[in-house]
Amino acid sequence: MTMPTSRFHILAPGLAIPGDWHPGRVPNNIEVGQNTVIDSSFSFLHYEATGPLGLRVGSNVTLWRTALSVGPGAVIEIGNYCYLANASLACTERITLGSYVLVANGVTIVDSDFHPIDVDARIMDTIALSPTGDRGKRPRIEARPVVIEDCVRIGFNATILKGVNVGTGAVIAPGAVVSRDVAPGRWVAGSPAREIPPGEGS
Amino acid sequence: MMPLIRIPGDWYDGVIPSNVELGENAHIDTSYGLALIDSTRRPCLIMAAGSGSYTTSFVMGPNGRVTVGSCTCLNSPFLICQESITIGSHCLVSWGAVITDTDLGQRESRGTNQQMLRRAAADPDRRLAPLTRPLPVIIEDAVWIGFGSVVMPGVTVGRGSVIGCKTVVDQDIPPYVVVAGNPLRVVRELDPPGRDQSPGVVPG
Repeated sequence: MTMPTSRFHILAPGLAIPGDWHPGRVPNNIEVGQNTVIDSSFSFLHYEATGPLGLRVGSNVTLWRTALSVGPGAVIEIGNYCYLANASLACTERITLGSYVLVANGVTIVDSDFHPIDVDARIMDTIALSPTGDRGKRPRIEARPVVIEDCVRIGFNATILKGVNVGTGAVIAPGAVVSRDVAPGRWVAGSPAREIPPGEGS
Repeated sequence: MMPLIRIPGDWYDGVIPSNVELGENAHIDTSYGLALIDSTRRPCLIMAAGSGSYTTSFVMGPNGRVTVGSCTCLNSPFLICQESITIGSHCLVSWGAVITDTDLGQRESRGTNQQMLRRAAADPDRRLAPLTRPLPVIIEDAVWIGFGSVVMPGVTVGRGSVIGCKTVVDQDIPPYVVVAGNPLRVVRELDPPGRDQSPGVVPG
């Protein structure tokens, strides 16, 4: 039995992570700064970026049990000194995190609803997605980029939905479902998320 | 020093730390969720008789202690503990629920938060040192915590109560109620069990 000397490994393009429990590799089409770490290649299970770049991460970032699902042609960008713990990022176009963004356990960030609201289109989508379906026949699904600016704190199990811009230093309370922009320095809580006085709520 | 115990058939290449105390027939399915136990307390985790932990993630600082009562089922929640989380007997804790005695920088100033993140980046194990004092969490007997819920530091959930899915519990919950929503409200009151029905028998 081998005991890993550290829980984390320096993230690098194409890396086979030593002692990784998941039989995978870090993709080649990523760009990483210094001292950015990850625990397992499992993070890239749904990384399908086909372009020259699907993920750009700055320096001193921690990625722990975080799903980096990137569609073909999509890009996730993460600044410096971010900490993502057990987050799920599902990106069909663009998700951007600034620097010093703290993402607590269980957070979901998406830039698409993944399926149409319209009933006819949604039924078509289920047919295209069925095991023998033709995924090329999926209806067009709108994506709207998500931007999380510097020093934003996102609480446990919160959700950030498509098109949302979270301003510098804003705080998303645990469990909040954020579907509208959050102005810099403001706090939001609840489902749907509403503004609360800074320091209040959970 | 006590030997580290390997779980038979464990898919994850880890161990049960020697300061985990397992009661009779207590079960932990995999060591995957034990990889982030930094606690040196003895014991750091008590799993009483007949309790089960199924891919629960324990994220524990050096002084953390989690106590789990008999016949309690932890079905893939996250327990984040710098000091004390106490879960009673006959509780159900569902997947994706977070129970934490520690605020992760939420209430700090931007500068203090940046300092915490810089410190974590300088640590090879990337521990997030809490800046606020942990506040012990108590989940009393026969509580059911729904999936995706968050139980915040300092909270006590009263005996027999039910926390609906995705509820954020930021205040004490009285015994024998159902709460739901975000922000939460009491949606139902429950009858306390009759004397002859009250739990207390632990199957051997």
